[in-house]
Amino acid sequence: MNAQAVLTALKEALGDRLRAPEIRTRSVGVKSPRTIEEVWGAIDRDVLLQAARTLKDLGPLHVSIISGADCGEEIELLYHFTVGFGTEGGEVLVTLKLSVPKTDPVVPSICGIIPGAQTTEREKIEFLGIEFSGIPDSRHLFLPEDMEVHPWRVDEPELEKFVKRAVKWEERNA
Amino acid sequence: MRELEKTFEVPIGPVHPALKEPIRFTFQVEGERIVGVDVKPGFAHRGIEFMGMERNLIQVLYLAERICGICSISHPIALTQAVEVAAGIEVPPRAQYIRVIVSELERIHSHLLWAGVAAHELGFDTLLHLTWKVRERVMDILEELTGNRVDYAIPIFGGVRRDIAPEQYPKIQEMLRYYRGLFEELAERFLRDASVEARTRDVGVFTPEEAEALCAVGPTARASGLRKDIRQDWPYLVYGDFGVKAITPEDYGTEVRGDVYDRIIVRLLEVAQSMDIIERCLEDMPEGEITSIPKVPALLAQLKKAEGEGIGRHEAPRGEVIHYIRLEADKEAPVVWKVKAPTYSNLMSWVPMFRDQEIADIPIIAASIDPCMCCMDRVHLVRNGRDELVWKEELLALSREKTERIRSRVTRYASRVVDHGGGI
Repeated sequence: MNAQAVLTALKEALGDRLRAPEIRTRSVGVKSPRTIEEVWGAIDRDVLLQAARTLKDLGPLHVSIISGADCGEEIELLYHFTVGFGTEGGEVLVTLKLSVPKTDPVVPSICGIIPGAQTTEREKIEFLGIEFSGIPDSRHLFLPEDMEVHPWRVDEPELEKFVKRAVKWEERNA
Repeated sequence: MRELEKTFEVPIGPVHPALKEPIRFTFQVEGERIVGVDVKPGFAHRGIEFMGMERNLIQVLYLAERICGICSISHPIALTQAVEVAAGIEVPPRAQYIRVIVSELERIHSHLLWAGVAAHELGFDTLLHLTWKVRERVMDILEELTGNRVDYAIPIFGGVRRDIAPEQYPKIQEMLRYYRGLFEELAERFLRDASVEARTRDVGVFTPEEAEALCAVGPTARASGLRKDIRQDWPYLVYGDFGVKAITPEDYGTEVRGDVYDRIIVRLLEVAQSMDIIERCLEDMPEGEITSIPKVPALLAQLKKAEGEGIGRHEAPRGEVIHYIRLEADKEAPVVWKVKAPTYSNLMSWVPMFRDQEIADIPIIAASIDPCMCCMDRVHLVRNGRDELVWKEELLALSREKTERIRSRVTRYASRVVDHGGGI
């Protein structure tokens, strides 16, 4: 598998719904230097499942992690997939960015396509307040079930109180 | 007649003698047979990513090193790669070799540590003591090269912090000879021992289809026959130069069965593989600089100006570590820092592994993925059975209250200090 093939397949499947498609490179190795290519792009949530299916058809698919960022009005999710493990130098890192408004933070779950994504989706529920439609298990994973603070939201009203309480205690007893 | 309930719940953890770190399993059992399991991590979550997003990148590097004691070079290697891509920093060749050498030393010590734990879980403590005794040799070399047994503080953005001196080469080679001489004995004890085989063959089976669907990583995936190893699939540092191959039980000449025994095979063979990689590094490593920006204030200034994002990955002893970082100019702290440790990916693999197994096999199956909870968990919260948060301050207040409460009784029964008569 190579990055160009992955990008072509994504373009064919998504057309202009794949925005800002890009191949980024990095140089690795000393004695036999080579260039490693990565695929980056942005999509909307309604084509996420189609994108994931396209990647799965290309080769063995792995979900490394879903990263997330609070960008004010919106929350940005970054799906870090890899396609094609098992071959020497044949794995392509694919990052697809997706933004959802905070007023409607619902994203389709990709667990139906790749069940291993459940851990990272559950983490996004508790830390960023995302809802995944169709996820088989939406309970909190790392945080207690009754914790309603979403720690990675910058405008989280309870967060400051929460952190101050912990920091105050630590300072007094450190 | 009233129907008797057949399924019972057996909770294990968060704190239990069979576990080395806190996690809670709730097993559904029918007699001795496990029919389902629910896994609840988070008891060692410290909010490290949150802390990192409040600190400058050099401080983040030290935090990353403390995500895990066993993989204490894996997280810095992934983080430095991510930041180097985001900030456009070059790494001198010699530094790349040094990063690889320390990573592979870490793999040797981690796999030997695991083998000892596995032997202990099987009730084979003499083998635990043998394995951990021989593990000391690699710990000595790590201490020799880095000054520490854990938290080696070797990678820094743009290179490494310490060089390997010419007089240290023979010590590393001596260590490699020592382990090569021992390999057969360890293989004999672990792989050709009737009781080890009886306790691990066809126990905790994880099929290749499950491993692929559940995104398993590291030896857990490879023992199920997936040739999945970042050092092979996605070359980074100098791994591509060596043509590293992912190891599965087939390389030992046996068919893949995806059980605990196969996980032992893979880890033992990987110890030998790491030794080969270290040897190649010592042969090929060029002389030269070990960092492209030696002065820390200059490095911090360059990082503060940097704008961009990057991903760093590393094949840690337990599997894939990935860090994503996003930097904005004039901000010292990263805007986004996401960490993924291998156990995070391997968490779901326990569900099929435990299915239809016996309660007595819980410890060895739990240990077989070589779980690392502190890696995976990263918020400092304790939860009691009533679904409430219990803060450290509340626990402390409760403890002090108890001391106050029993103080009168304690004073009454405390023995009088004997007067020796002579003063001090």
